[in-house]
Amino acid sequence: MAATLKKKKKITVGQVINYALITLLAFVCLYPFLNVIAYSLSGYNAVLSGRVNFYPIDFSLEAYKQILGKTQIWNSMRTTVFVTVVGTALSLVLTTCAAYALSRQDLPGRTFLTGMILFTMYFGGGMIPTFLVVKGVGLYDTLGSLFIPQSVNVFNFIVMRTFFRNLPESLEEAARIDGASYVQVLIKIVLPLSLPIIATMGLFYAVGYWNTYFDALLYIQNPDKYTLQLRLRSLLFGEELNNSSANLEGMGTQVMTQSLKMATVAVSTIPILVVYPWLQKYFVKGVMIGSVKG
Amino acid sequence: MRSRTKTQSPYIAKKPFRQKLAKVWAYKWLYLMLLPVIVYYIVFKYVPMYGITIAFKDYNVFKGVLASPWCGLEVFKKIMTNKNFWEAIKNTLLLNVTTLLVSFPLTIIVSLMLNEVASAKFKKVTQSILYLPHFISWVVVAGIATNLFSLQGGTINHLLNSIGIDSIPFLSSNGWWIFTYVLCNVWKEIGWGTIIYLAALTGVDESLYEAAYLDGATKFQRLIYITLPSIKSVIVTMLILQISKMMTIGLDAPLLLGNSKVMGVSEVISTYTYRLGIERAKYSDSTAIGLFQSVINIIILLAADKFAKAIGEDGII
Repeated sequence: MAATLKKKKKITVGQVINYALITLLAFVCLYPFLNVIAYSLSGYNAVLSGRVNFYPIDFSLEAYKQILGKTQIWNSMRTTVFVTVVGTALSLVLTTCAAYALSRQDLPGRTFLTGMILFTMYFGGGMIPTFLVVKGVGLYDTLGSLFIPQSVNVFNFIVMRTFFRNLPESLEEAARIDGASYVQVLIKIVLPLSLPIIATMGLFYAVGYWNTYFDALLYIQNPDKYTLQLRLRSLLFGEELNNSSANLEGMGTQVMTQSLKMATVAVSTIPILVVYPWLQKYFVKGVMIGSVKG
Repeated sequence: MRSRTKTQSPYIAKKPFRQKLAKVWAYKWLYLMLLPVIVYYIVFKYVPMYGITIAFKDYNVFKGVLASPWCGLEVFKKIMTNKNFWEAIKNTLLLNVTTLLVSFPLTIIVSLMLNEVASAKFKKVTQSILYLPHFISWVVVAGIATNLFSLQGGTINHLLNSIGIDSIPFLSSNGWWIFTYVLCNVWKEIGWGTIIYLAALTGVDESLYEAAYLDGATKFQRLIYITLPSIKSVIVTMLILQISKMMTIGLDAPLLLGNSKVMGVSEVISTYTYRLGIERAKYSDSTAIGLFQSVINIIILLAADKFAKAIGEDGII
């Protein structure tokens, strides 16, 4: 009892204000999500009257039923899942290989090759020359254009290389003396020790691919190949949704549209929200390694 | 092992080369692993750099990059006299500087606040929530922002109306649009930005605080005289890094949040090059603007790096 009293005494007014402000800030960060969910789950009249704020009123799953009944949404979802899975796998393999090879301090030509990669952080061809190259190699309007031209990220490369460099050398040396090749060392010793960093990089790449909007805008022409973000944009800011729901509902179209839009937003964001808590403990470390420059 | 080659080779001049070759051969698997990445960088990063030459050419789609005729600095002369180009540069700087002025101090303040939290659980939960918006796409952010801020049917304007305040044109008047743009940016990145400061703050020597506490320093004094000086170099590095990016602006945010009503402030370099290059197929003009931007970027970067080193901090390159 005495101990708790003593502890309680230490809580000052300043601390209370601090906790309150942080709670408020966290609420501000969370509020838009709550607003989206509230809108997507509310009934017509509630949305129409503007009463919806951060909890659903007149609970209704109508918007989700409509959204999930659209084949376009499913097509785009499939496209995005494909790009995310294949892209992340390709990125992880390429980045790991490059980072491992260039983390060897004794590799001849290492400085030049690393410099060649780092230079692209500061200078690049820009939008149009890159566009012309993507077109030139035949990737235009293919799903490959959404992950092949972006497959290695310099920042992620630096993070991984730094991580590999900091692994205890003695382990690898021992394996090398026992006659293991570099590839064996990578697979049997380095990779098992690097799972946290690989998870982090996987998260960064996957979120990047999932959220890719601009590349899809540049390189994808055929609406059948629209990614989720592209589809989302045309639903949110284009006419697509207004027309279709007008056909379906007639009256109260505009209000239903708002619920529909928010349901679409929710559907396209949920996968990230599901993965996020599992990987959260890793990525802070990733950012910190990355901030120590290579 | 190598000494055998040495004695066998009669040609002294060739020796180092052979040794070098043997050494390179020993790493063949590592080079093989590197090969795809090097090919990737050459094809998707270095070939486009050569493509910049079209900024000095009268680009013709049918002739291609190589065969189009050179035209010297004609393209640059054309864009430099274009009012829209300078407008885009002005808007880029305006949005970047405003965002920096708000987000930079705010990020540090939030980091300091989080650092004061004693309860590990509370800290963890709030951090998770604060980092979350970083992972949300700009399309989604813009969609949410429209739902919240639109003039008719926007949640915020509904709220304002219900307490007797007129609707605010968050997305359709220039001044308010900048406000909304900065707000969305800060909302998205503030939590993420604290990670580096929090890492630096955990490195501050505890004994300094204890000593100051014993000497009767107040919490505020400890903050000013111990905490801030301890993370000063991180603050300076971050500031310089941010400043070196002042001419670069993502395309997603201004393109998705912007609309025809606020074009006067939302048209930035990236959206301008996009409209010019992709929508109007003026490849040379768009490339020239891109090159101009890259060169300015490098100049700022080098200057910032030099400045950082001059004041005794680590460089950023």
